[in-house]
Amino acid sequence: MSEKYIPQDNVPLPPANAKVHTTACDYCIVGCGYKVYTWPVGESGGPSENQNALGSAFPGNMLGTWISPNQHNVVSVDGQPHHVVVLPDFQSQVVNKVGNHSIRGGTLALKCYNPDTPTRDRLLHPQIRVNGRLEQVDWDTALEVMAAVSKHVLEKYGEAAWAMKTYSYEFFENTYAITKLAFSSIVTPAFAVHDKPSMGSDTGGVSDAGVITFSASYQDWADADVLFISGTDPFETKTIVFTSWIMGGPKLIMVLPRRTAGVAYAEKNGGLFLQVIPGTDNLLHLAISRIILENGWEDREFIDKWVASNWEIEMGMGRGTRNTPWQWRTTWGQFGTDFEGYKEWLLSHEPATLENAARVTGVPAEKIMQAAEMITGAGGERPKASFGFEKGNYWSNNYSNTASYAAMGFLCGAGNRPGRVISRLGGHQRGWMGAASYPRDKSPEKLPGRRKVEMDLDRWVANGNARFVWAIGTTWTAAMAASQELERSFRALTVENPHQIRSIDKDSVIQTLIDRVDSGGMVVVNSDIYPVEPINTEFADIVLPAAAWGEHDATRCNGERRLRLYSKFYDAPGEARPDWWAISRFAQKMGFEGYDWEEDNDVFEEAARFSRGGVLDYFVLVWHAKQLGMKGHELLRTLGTQGIQTPIRWVDGEMVGTQRLHDSTLELGSPEGPTVHSKWLTHFKSHSGKALMLKSPWELFSDFYERVTPDPAKGEFWVTTGRINEIWQSAFDDIRKPYILNRWPETWVEIHPQDAAPLGIESGDMVRMWSDDILVQTGGRVRVKGYSFTDLVAAGSIQTGRGEAIAVAIVSDDVRPGLLFTNFLHPSSPANSLVHRVPDPVSNVHRYKLGKAQIEKIGESPFKTAFEEMTFKPRTVSG
Amino acid sequence: MNQEDSKPCDPTAGIVSRREFFKLGGAAIVALSLPAFLRKAGLSDTVYAQQVEYPRQLIGRLSQIGTEPIAFNYPWEHPNAANFLLMLEEPAGGGVGPDQSVVAFNAFCTHQGGPLTGQFHTGIGVAGPCPLHWTTFDLTRFGMVISGHATQGLPQIILETQGDEIYATGVRGLVFGYFDNRVDPTA
Repeated sequence: MSEKYIPQDNVPLPPANAKVHTTACDYCIVGCGYKVYTWPVGESGGPSENQNALGSAFPGNMLGTWISPNQHNVVSVDGQPHHVVVLPDFQSQVVNKVGNHSIRGGTLALKCYNPDTPTRDRLLHPQIRVNGRLEQVDWDTALEVMAAVSKHVLEKYGEAAWAMKTYSYEFFENTYAITKLAFSSIVTPAFAVHDKPSMGSDTGGVSDAGVITFSASYQDWADADVLFISGTDPFETKTIVFTSWIMGGPKLIMVLPRRTAGVAYAEKNGGLFLQVIPGTDNLLHLAISRIILENGWEDREFIDKWVASNWEIEMGMGRGTRNTPWQWRTTWGQFGTDFEGYKEWLLSHEPATLENAARVTGVPAEKIMQAAEMITGAGGERPKASFGFEKGNYWSNNYSNTASYAAMGFLCGAGNRPGRVISRLGGHQRGWMGAASYPRDKSPEKLPGRRKVEMDLDRWVANGNARFVWAIGTTWTAAMAASQELERSFRALTVENPHQIRSIDKDSVIQTLIDRVDSGGMVVVNSDIYPVEPINTEFADIVLPAAAWGEHDATRCNGERRLRLYSKFYDAPGEARPDWWAISRFAQKMGFEGYDWEEDNDVFEEAARFSRGGVLDYFVLVWHAKQLGMKGHELLRTLGTQGIQTPIRWVDGEMVGTQRLHDSTLELGSPEGPTVHSKWLTHFKSHSGKALMLKSPWELFSDFYERVTPDPAKGEFWVTTGRINEIWQSAFDDIRKPYILNRWPETWVEIHPQDAAPLGIESGDMVRMWSDDILVQTGGRVRVKGYSFTDLVAAGSIQTGRGEAIAVAIVSDDVRPGLLFTNFLHPSSPANSLVHRVPDPVSNVHRYKLGKAQIEKIGESPFKTAFEEMTFKPRTVSG
Repeated sequence: MNQEDSKPCDPTAGIVSRREFFKLGGAAIVALSLPAFLRKAGLSDTVYAQQVEYPRQLIGRLSQIGTEPIAFNYPWEHPNAANFLLMLEEPAGGGVGPDQSVVAFNAFCTHQGGPLTGQFHTGIGVAGPCPLHWTTFDLTRFGMVISGHATQGLPQIILETQGDEIYATGVRGLVFGYFDNRVDPTA
C-alpha cells in the first residue's frame, strides 16, 4: 500500500461558506479539539479574512492559523466529492490551546477514506472466507451465519465457549452495545479487551490504594512543582500534555530505560533522569520511600488525615465475601496495612536498601537519593509533587510497581489536592461504557481461597475452550504476549481444521462452521476497518466492515474525563457501519430484546443511565437535553471542542464539569437534580474514603524476574517496547499516510553502540531478533496451591516457545547497554512474540516490557545510504 | 555539480507514475540530485518536488560559504520566506557543491511557525529543537522530521550551481503561513 510521499507547495483554502464540524482527535489520550471544514470540490476560498472559513488572513504568522498540505484530503459527502481540512481548534481554551497539535493528530485528514490514497484497502463489505478467499456477501447473510453458529455454540457448549475480544476505547456507543451483548444478553466470562488477556484491573496496585487512575486534570500537571513520571515520555506519546501543560512547568523526574526527547528536555531544565533496568521499578520506589521514612521527610499531616488505619481497612470497611480482587488484596494484611505497618515492613525489607536497589535497578544511589530529595523538599519547604505513570511502570511487575508507586506518592502528600495528584498519563482515550459488569462468578479461574479472578482469554482459546470468537477492532494475536505462539494456536483451531467453507451457499456455510465447532475447532469473526494481519487476512471466517472516526456521530472522554461529540463529517465507505449497528442487528437475529437502535444518539442516550454514578457520568447532560427538547448528541455538539468534564453535575440550574477526582478542596452542596455525589469526588476510592498503603514484597516477582533476565553470555538482550511520537498505536493509519511512512517506512530497534559494534551492526542495517526461550503459561484453571511463578513451574504449567522479529537497527547511546528498544506493535515486526506469556499472578496483566532476544545483522536496508526515507539522527538533540 | 547535471528527469519515470503526475495538475517535477556514490550503489537517487514557475535567484557563492549560515529570502521578499544557506559536514539530499553538502532551508518550523534561527547545527546536520515545542529536522534528508510535531518537513530550497554561483530554483514543501508558495504575499 506504500505510496511515495511528494511534498506539496500549496493547499486549498476553505471558502467562507464551508461547513464546519467540531470533533476531537481520534488518537491518543490527550484528545485535542479539532475543527473539520468540508466544501465541494471545484470551489475554493481566498487569502483574505473574509474569503475563507477560518476567518484568517494568509500568510499567517507564528502560532497563527495555517493549513499544511497533509491536513487536506478529498472525501465523499452525501455522495459528492468534497475537500476536507482537519485543523486543531485555534480558538480552544482547553487541552490544545492556541492550535497546538501533535504530528499524529495534525495529519488526521490523511486517515479519511479516499480511494486515490493508500486508504483504498478499507473494508467495504461483509465477507465470508470461501475456499480460502474472502468473498463479498450482504450484511444479512453474514449476521445470519453468525447467529446460527452462535446459537449452536451456546446451546451445546455454554456461554463461556462464546468469546469476545474488543477494543475498550472506540466510543461509548460501540462499547456500550458490545458489553450489553456480551455481559447482559449472552453473559459470557470469555471476554477481554485489546491490551490484556483478561478483564482485571490495569493498575491494580494504584486502584487498590484508593486512587482512580484518571483522577487528575491537565492543569494539575502544570501546577505541580515537581512531577515524577514513571514508564512513559509524554512528549512521545501524549504530546500535547507535555508541550502545552508540562513544558515550562514542573521540574521532571523521568524513569525510563531509554533517553528520549522528553528526557533531554527534562535534563536541560533542572530535571532528573533515572535510567532504570526494565522490571525493577518496585525496588526503585521502595528505595525512595525508605529514604523518605529514614529521614522523616514524609508528609505527616497528610498521612494522619488521609491514610487508612488498620481499623478502617479491616473493621467493617473492607469486609464482605472477599471474593473480589479488591477485597482479598486489601484486607488480611497480605498487602494492605496502615502507615506504621508500612513503615515497619519497608524498613525491614532487605531488597529495598539503597545499596541493593541501586544494584538491581541500575540507577546510581546518588540519583535515587536526589529523587527522594526532589519530591519531598528533604525537610525544607515541601514542593507540590505529582505522580504520573504509564505502561513502562505497569506492564512489567504490574501489581507491585503500581502499589509501591501509590505508596510513594502518599508519603509525599499527593493524591487529593490541586497540583498534587497521582494519576495515569494515559494511552488511548476513555471510550469504555459498560452496560453490565463482567460476570466474574462465571470465570473458571481462581486463586487459593475464595479468590475469583477474571479469566485469561488467550489461555482459554489456546486450550480449545472457545468455539466462537468475535474480535472487534484489535489485532488480538499480535497485541498479546508470545504472539507467534498464540497465532499457532489460532491457526490450528481455524485454517488447519478440516472443516473449511467450500461453498458460499448460506446453509452450507452454517453447516460447515457447526461441523468445525463440533470437531473442536473455532469460528472467528473480525470487525475492523482494514484487513489486519493475521486475524483478518488469515483466520477470520467472517469479516464485518466498521465505520470509524468522522463517519458517524460518537462520544468519549479524554485523559481528564472531558466528554466531546466526535462529529460525522463524511460518508462511511461502502457498506461499513458502526460496530453498535452490527451488534444490534446480530442481537436481533439472536432473539435478544432491547437492540432496536436506529441512530448513534439512541445508544448514547440509553447508555447514559449506565454511566450514572461513575467516573464518566454524563446522565445529567442527557437529562438536561430532554428538558430542552433536544437529543443528547445535539446538546453535546453545542459544547464543541471544549465539551465538559465528567462526572457532570447539576448545580444551580447549570451543567457543571468536574475538574479532578479525590479533590479535597471541592465544596459539594446537596446533590441537585439527577446529580450523584460519589464519595470519591472528595475522598479516595475506598470504603473509608482514605488512602491505603500496600506492601509490595520483591519476592512476589523475583523468581520470575530471575528466570527471564537475559544472559549476556548467551548473547541475550532485554527487549523492551514502546511508542514513538510519529506513530499511533499499531500504525494502522500511519502506514497509509505517505508522509508518516516516509519517516518510518519500517519498524526499528535501538541498540547501544557498545552492543552493536561487536555484532557488526550499524544504523540502517536489517537485524533479526529471536528467542527460543519464550515462556508460555498453560494448563489448569484453578490453583489450589500458591500462585507464584515457582508454583506454576512446580505444577508443570510453564512451557517454552519461540518468537522472532525483524527491524531496521538504529545505533544510539540513548538506550541502556544490554537492552533493545523497539516499536511495541508494528505490523511488520511482531515484537510481542519475544514477550513471555506469563501474566502478573495478582492481576492477570501481561509483562510486555520484559521480552528478551538475541540479535544479528541480516543485511542492509535501503535507508542506510539513500536519503529519501527514514532518518537515523539522534532524537535527543537539545540545542 | 554544474547546471547540466541537475536537469529535470522524466517525470513519469521512477517513483512517480504518469497518473500521479497528471494528478498534480500538470506541475513539473524536478529531481533533487543525490551524491554520485549513491548512484553507483544502485540506490534510489532521486526525490521529487513539485515545481511551477519559481524564480531562479542567485543566493550565494560556493567560495563564500563557511560554517556560519547565510540568510536569504526566497521565493519572495517576505518575512516567512526567510531561509538559510548552509554547508554541512556530510553529503545531503539535494546538496550541491563539491561534497554535495551545501543545502538551504526555510527558517520557520512547519509545526506552528517557531523561529529556527540559531538552531541550524551544521556539524550534526540537524535543525532544532524548535524553541516552541521541540521539533527537530534532518538537514541531510530533505528536512524530514526527526522527532516532533510538524506535519510537513522543513521546506528545502532547491539549489543549482553554475560555476561558483549558487541559485535557488524552487521550494520543496509549503512555507509556514502560506497557502501557495507561488502566490506573492507582498503583492
